[in-house]
Amino acid sequence: MTIWEKMQKIDRRILYGILVVCVCIGLFFPSTIRTDPDPSSKSFYAAVQKLPKGSTIIVQTDWTNSTRGESLGHFENLMRLLMNGEHKFVFYSAADPAAPQVARTVLARIVAERKSQGLREYKVGEDYVDLGFFPNAEATNTSMGANLKAAWAGRKSKTPSGTEIDIFKTPVLANVNRIEDCQMMIVITASQSIDIAVQRLAQKIDITALVTGVVGPTVLPFYQSDQIKGVAVGLKGVYDIEYLMEYGIDDVKIEGQPYATAGKEGPVPKTEIGTRFSRGRQYYGTLHVALTLLILAVVMGNVAMFAARRRKGEKV
Amino acid sequence: MNLFPMMLGQVVEESFWKRLPGPALYGFLVLGLLFGIGLCFALSRVPSNMRRWVIVSFTFLAGLPYVAAYLWPIPVAADFQTEIPRNGVESVGFFLNQAMDPVGTITNIIQGFLLGVGFYSLVRIHLTKVKRKQENWGFSIVLLTCFVLMAGFGLRDWQIRTFMDDTGALNVRDNWTFVNYAQDFLFEGLYQQMDSAMFSMIAFFILSAAYRAFRVRSVEATVMMASALILMLNLMGALTFAQGSAINELAGNTNNLFLLNFKINTFADWLRSTMQIPAIRAIDFGVGLGALAMGLRLWLGLEKGGVT
Repeated sequence: MTIWEKMQKIDRRILYGILVVCVCIGLFFPSTIRTDPDPSSKSFYAAVQKLPKGSTIIVQTDWTNSTRGESLGHFENLMRLLMNGEHKFVFYSAADPAAPQVARTVLARIVAERKSQGLREYKVGEDYVDLGFFPNAEATNTSMGANLKAAWAGRKSKTPSGTEIDIFKTPVLANVNRIEDCQMMIVITASQSIDIAVQRLAQKIDITALVTGVVGPTVLPFYQSDQIKGVAVGLKGVYDIEYLMEYGIDDVKIEGQPYATAGKEGPVPKTEIGTRFSRGRQYYGTLHVALTLLILAVVMGNVAMFAARRRKGEKV
Repeated sequence: MNLFPMMLGQVVEESFWKRLPGPALYGFLVLGLLFGIGLCFALSRVPSNMRRWVIVSFTFLAGLPYVAAYLWPIPVAADFQTEIPRNGVESVGFFLNQAMDPVGTITNIIQGFLLGVGFYSLVRIHLTKVKRKQENWGFSIVLLTCFVLMAGFGLRDWQIRTFMDDTGALNVRDNWTFVNYAQDFLFEGLYQQMDSAMFSMIAFFILSAAYRAFRVRSVEATVMMASALILMLNLMGALTFAQGSAINELAGNTNNLFLLNFKINTFADWLRSTMQIPAIRAIDFGVGLGALAMGLRLWLGLEKGGVT
């Protein structure tokens, strides 16, 4: 058996071992990598950063830990962006019963992080409202578009003092009567729930999205047709947003020289306070390693196949 | 736990579909209860050959508000909360708009019941398995134990946090009780971590499949591989940045802006916007048309599967 034939029949456990070792090494050495953020990520960042201070945002969080590699970073970045902009927000899930609890845990961590940095502490019932889970995305989004007050009627929120209050009496939703009174809806999802949100609500409110790499290609048509104002896709999207938080956007000039501005976002400032690089930076190097490994696997597999065929005298 | 007053308090404005707490509401509740009992009794007495029509009728009624609300003409910028209809057509439009919320609520409640049916079915199947000591009955014990523990600690944790923590003390971990720790351990410590682990296994299969199955055997496979390669390279920021900077410099030195087209991310953008997105859009149109046709068949009772 030649080396090429041996390579064709390599034990899968060897491949698994190589993957584990390569990926794990990358995780221990997070590094800031220069990158060129995707246009859709830039649009997302610009849309959120251009919101007036203290805007009211609807966050539909439809992810759980099965996609934490991407969605956790997305959610953390979003929370930091919203808190830096002093925006008020409501969050709920219309896709997974476990999603609100996952979001609560992450939110509590970000609140604690900001507190330790001496930044203003976000408080439930004052700065954000937790609406929990709605079992049917189709019906929920349709109701929200028809009559937001009725769709969320009777929901209570805790207050910083521990008492309960109707959500529409909280400072978050006090001035909200219909969905058009909110400035943006942001969907963080690992499923097709973004499709339903776009179908039911895109004509009433600006929608942006933070999605996984698998869902990304199905969302990009909405971005191209301007039905969503921006979308960060996958782990690259997580890193893009962190990179933009660190450096901002300056599409107008590159190294001081004028640059094409058509279709560009123009200057959008970086974030001045709080954490900027986090999960994306931690995982992005590993993504490079994993992709390199994948490309090598494809190339080696094909080289081995062609070499084995040539040796056997088959037509290549 | 004062759930009943909380549920009654959900109505914020009165309409055909909703009543504020009072004699009329209680009257409707009693009537609804009696009607529900009567309906259940009547349904149990429906002959087998008529059951299909019962299902078809309910399916039609369930879909009707959404279809009617979508098709019925309404003023473009109607504000359903502050404006009043000017004529009969608008009145129907307003009526249908008001129906969206209660219909949505009913759908959510039915979905909740479906979850309940799922739980019941799961528990029944595994209890039977344990009782008869069928194959792998040990796994059924594990499932039932996890089910009871997760539901028990989860509910108690919710109850404590919602109704017994007036000062918000439980937001600080130091104040947690055994129940809070147990819920956190089960949900965050076990369930969520196993969820992540299951999903991460895909990476191993992808690598193995890439090595063994992704072969250049035809023109189509070659085109697909080239596209995939460009898109994968585009995800590697270090590479695209270095290559992009080199191209920028070259374009600047030679004053040849055409060279900018050879950046990896320009290739990837072109592939996405010119090839991938239109293809996905075409697929979406096809799927949409199919779903519309199937939806219509189901709604109008023309589809025999599922209702016979």
